[in-house]
Amino acid sequence: MKGKEPMRIERINNGIVIDHITAGKGIEILKLFPTEILRTKIDYASYIDSPRMGMKDIIKIENVDVNHEWLLKVALLAPDLTISVIRDAKVEEKINPTLPEVIEGIITCRNPKCVTVKETYLTSLFRVARQENGKLRQQCQFCEHIFHS
Amino acid sequence: MTESFDFKGRHIIDTEDFSTAEILHLVETADRIQEMGENALQIAKGKILATLFWEPSTRTRLSFEAAMFKLGGNVLGFSEASTTSSAKGETLADTIKTVALYADIMAMRHPLEGSALAATRYSDRPIINGGDGAHLHPSQTLGDIYTLVKERGSLDGLKIGFLGDLLFGRTIHTLVRLLSRFDVEMHFFSPEGLNIPDYVRNSLQAKGAVFTESEDMNGQLANLDVLYVTRIQKERFFSEEEYLRKKNSYRVDRELLEKAKKDILILHPLPRNEEIAQDVDDLPNAGYFRQADYGMQMRMALISKCLGLM
Ligand SMILES: [Zn+2]
Repeated sequence: MKGKEPMRIERINNGIVIDHITAGKGIEILKLFPTEILRTKIDYASYIDSPRMGMKDIIKIENVDVNHEWLLKVALLAPDLTISVIRDAKVEEKINPTLPEVIEGIITCRNPKCVTVKETYLTSLFRVARQENGKLRQQCQFCEHIFHS
Repeated sequence: MTESFDFKGRHIIDTEDFSTAEILHLVETADRIQEMGENALQIAKGKILATLFWEPSTRTRLSFEAAMFKLGGNVLGFSEASTTSSAKGETLADTIKTVALYADIMAMRHPLEGSALAATRYSDRPIINGGDGAHLHPSQTLGDIYTLVKERGSLDGLKIGFLGDLLFGRTIHTLVRLLSRFDVEMHFFSPEGLNIPDYVRNSLQAKGAVFTESEDMNGQLANLDVLYVTRIQKERFFSEEEYLRKKNSYRVDRELLEKAKKDILILHPLPRNEEIAQDVDDLPNAGYFRQADYGMQMRMALISKCLGLM
């Protein structure tokens, strides 16, 4: 798989390419897909060489459009990634998911004593900030616990 | 944060939601209510406070209820989860929505962190957080501030020591965070491994607060104006031997107080174990029972302000 990235991209005519995923995180991103998307053709390469990142994961999905909520979930898992939308074998658009300061829903609090974990009808609310080391700092606005990703 | 001395309809969830001026206004309000004497009984006449305690905390609940009775109001509520509909699976949201129909204001204690903030989403009545798990307990913190002001005249220049388990003591963390807004010096004395948590230390450093940390009080005791003692539990120690060896370093008795300023004020959130010897109780320095009284007086102020009655 190593060093064959350009060829692999050419294999997609319509769909999206998620690139620059933190190495090893690709599998978690795949888990975020709605099941109907999983019925399409997916390419997933893990721990491939990257001049910029050392190692990275890459995912290609044919015949799919991205929606905002899904993008946000993906961005939270791997803040460095880029998403290319491919139409007719050409890169039509490159998307760098931008993070809002506050995210409602989507993230689940990892503090088992948090009210949002037990009272599941509550919509989670997180304040998100990118730190200098590139990691994301996520603070639950209910219990105030801080998580990094 | 919108600064306003009109608290009508506001919730008391976290002391950080309030400006310093607002906090000093609450202190002043507590004073004004006490000056009213018997007339305070007219303040909340006909109003209802619901005390919703999903976990037992007799002390806090009694303090809220006494505060409401002293304002001439009425109280209803429950004091443990097993007697409530939540034992039958009712959600927090449904309980709050229902009680909001009966009561004018609520004081709640709940084991989950963030529960009080969650409750405000379902209530058009003010909610006072009486403790949400190990998270916040603002009425205690504000009561402690009121105690310091009443006992010392002002917070300015106070040298305050904190003794005992400073890692798990929630009351300490919120109090320290609030005190760091004022011109005070703080000294932390705790067994190794039970020091103030990193986030408290970081926030003190960020605010430029003056503080020291050590395992014993020897170097500082003689300079302290106030010593805030916390409960120290045997289970927190590494071993039984360690507990026996160290527990006396975290115990206040008459002998220890001979090495302190003559008028040092001793505080404790209560209930206590062995951290303060009973022979200290009769000394004028023993402020911990007055502290419980001031805590109730602060709750009178909180109830009156949130109902828009003061
Ligand atoms: Zn949380």
